[in-house]
Amino acid sequence: MPKKGEIIIDERLCKGCALCVMFCSKKCISMGKIGPGGIPIAHFSDPEACTGCGVCGWMCPDMAIEVYEYVARRPL
Amino acid sequence: MIEETAITKNLVCKTPAFRLLPLGFCAGCHYGIIFRLIDEVLEEMELKGITVCIGGGGCSAMGAMAMDVDAFGGPHGPGTAIASALKRVCPDNFIFAIQGDGEQGAIGLGSFVAAAVRGENITIITMNNACYGMTGGQLAPTTPLGMVTPTTPEGRDQEMAGFPFHGPELVAPLRGVAYAARGTVHTPANRQRSKKMVKTAFQKQLQRLGFAVVEFICACPTNWRLSPVDCARYIEEKMIPEFPLGEFKNVEKNEG
Amino acid sequence: MTERILHTGNDTVARAAISAGCKYYFAYPITPQSEIAHYMARELPKIGGCFLQSEGEYAAAYMLLGAALSGERVMTSTSSPGLALMQEPLSMMVTAEIPAVVVETQRLGPGTGTGGQQGQTDYRFVTRGVYGGLHYPVLAPYSVSEIFEFVQLAFHIADKYRILTMVLTDFVLGRMTEYLELKTFDFGPLPEKDWALKGKAHKGGRSNFLFTVTGMMLDITGFFQGQQEKSKRIIDSETRWETYKTEDADLLIVSYGYSARMSKGAVNTARAQGIKAGLFRPITLWPFPREALQQEALKAGKVLVVEDSPGELVEDVELAVQGRVPVHFLGIQARHIARAEGLILPERILQEVRELL
Repeated sequence: MPKKGEIIIDERLCKGCALCVMFCSKKCISMGKIGPGGIPIAHFSDPEACTGCGVCGWMCPDMAIEVYEYVARRPL
Repeated sequence: MIEETAITKNLVCKTPAFRLLPLGFCAGCHYGIIFRLIDEVLEEMELKGITVCIGGGGCSAMGAMAMDVDAFGGPHGPGTAIASALKRVCPDNFIFAIQGDGEQGAIGLGSFVAAAVRGENITIITMNNACYGMTGGQLAPTTPLGMVTPTTPEGRDQEMAGFPFHGPELVAPLRGVAYAARGTVHTPANRQRSKKMVKTAFQKQLQRLGFAVVEFICACPTNWRLSPVDCARYIEEKMIPEFPLGEFKNVEKNEG
Repeated sequence: MTERILHTGNDTVARAAISAGCKYYFAYPITPQSEIAHYMARELPKIGGCFLQSEGEYAAAYMLLGAALSGERVMTSTSSPGLALMQEPLSMMVTAEIPAVVVETQRLGPGTGTGGQQGQTDYRFVTRGVYGGLHYPVLAPYSVSEIFEFVQLAFHIADKYRILTMVLTDFVLGRMTEYLELKTFDFGPLPEKDWALKGKAHKGGRSNFLFTVTGMMLDITGFFQGQQEKSKRIIDSETRWETYKTEDADLLIVSYGYSARMSKGAVNTARAQGIKAGLFRPITLWPFPREALQQEALKAGKVLVVEDSPGELVEDVELAVQGRVPVHFLGIQARHIARAEGLILPERILQEVRELL
């Protein structure tokens, strides 16, 4: 199945609040990876499910998430 | 003939160009969500070049420090007085002040109401986390009844401290007030609604219709002693019943 | 030929501010200086300026701060109880280096209801600076002409050093009427206000942040180092005083403000009677003219401090003189009557001069 969305989590900015996990309707993010600060931070654990909706990015209090969408276009 | 599908990768959401990242707020604090939202509105309305942001005394000062606009921060309480004067001197600039609920409802209450009485063409963003966050979560005018704080160890009691303070509702009846509203950012839908409130409030200043205030209920995981996820539930179950969301006043044109 | 008009001290404060290009004034009514606000309320709208009456002195000084962020020349004025309320905002301005002028028309204090009473009881309050260990310059005129000059000079000093600057008058100076020559002053060049907050479009897209946290909590020692260097520059360049008939004086009267006017009268009468008295008048109360005073005091051999107070200026004089000559004191007890209209009159000062010599 083609990719629809992708996120990049900036590990230096993530404080591990887990709000993105709560807001993601596709459950693509989980906590569990230990970040550079020594605390569990967000991790893009299920890339296949991501739709690139952007909610995690807009809702992250630390603006740590960049969101991309993949749009398929058929040439005419 | 083979049809090729071109796939383009579009950027949907990227980290804004803030002056100071990482933000100094606690993990799960809603201030970051709100300041990002404000930054988006300023960008969309093309106001950043003429904006001066007045930060308050407390966590709100850090937002003023972080956004990439001319800013000043932050004495505790007088944000509305500072913004009033600066707007009088520079009426063509866009001036808004960020205040905590504590400084607005207590020490700064005189200035808050006086600016509303005068109908100053400024916008106030109130960050309501129902306590004095920076100093350790003490009782604030907005603290709900029963809430435990370091200065109300048995919970807020109406005998000693009365009932919670509602800033936007207090000033809404004043003729100088063009817009008074309350929103949250604890769900994406609320974030979108609140963003519209901020946009409306900012427009009131551009249209010189008078005083505008938007209050945000903000989670404060550190002082509420709840996880960021549980804070969202607390907002839903305890805060919103006490502090209703919506617009309390929206003036479309100048009152005669 | 410059125009000469009859003017009160308070009106002169306002007029001088406008002459200095100040178009923005924020204040709260308080006796004995509300006339400054009345004047500004009448005149500022005529020149496109703004007078905003605030909800209290604390708010007035924060409005001063807010307006000053724009880089414009701005002013507030008050009297003693109001100045007490302004301490926090004024301290913010000193630490964040936001320049403005504050005019204090001191009255007898502390307390309410003393608006109709003369006094010089704020000397220590204003010369010790704001809380937090930082000073601000204080100019003390003693005539309507000096009020006109010093208010304009205050704006210049404020802009030159990015520091709050005060002009200290009092009930008598504020209400008295004298001839005023409408001179123009040129105090010299001033630096650009590149720190002003006018929106980042004003500075080619570069935003600026002014913070009221001392040293930004990052370089506290560096911050105080910078402040001390600034103080030194102000002390070196802006200390002002006046000497009157001190060349051969046997007694040096030290006084400022209205007491200095009274003392001058006493000196004149004394000289006419063959008594060699002289007057040293500090003009900047901070920076206090310590070295100049010490020189004059040593020359005279005896000092008499005259102030309408229980004893404040006398402390700075004793510091300056370092015990090398006797310092005598004529204070609030020397008023001619105990009731509100009491003043220290030239006759009383002369009596003291005679007793000391």
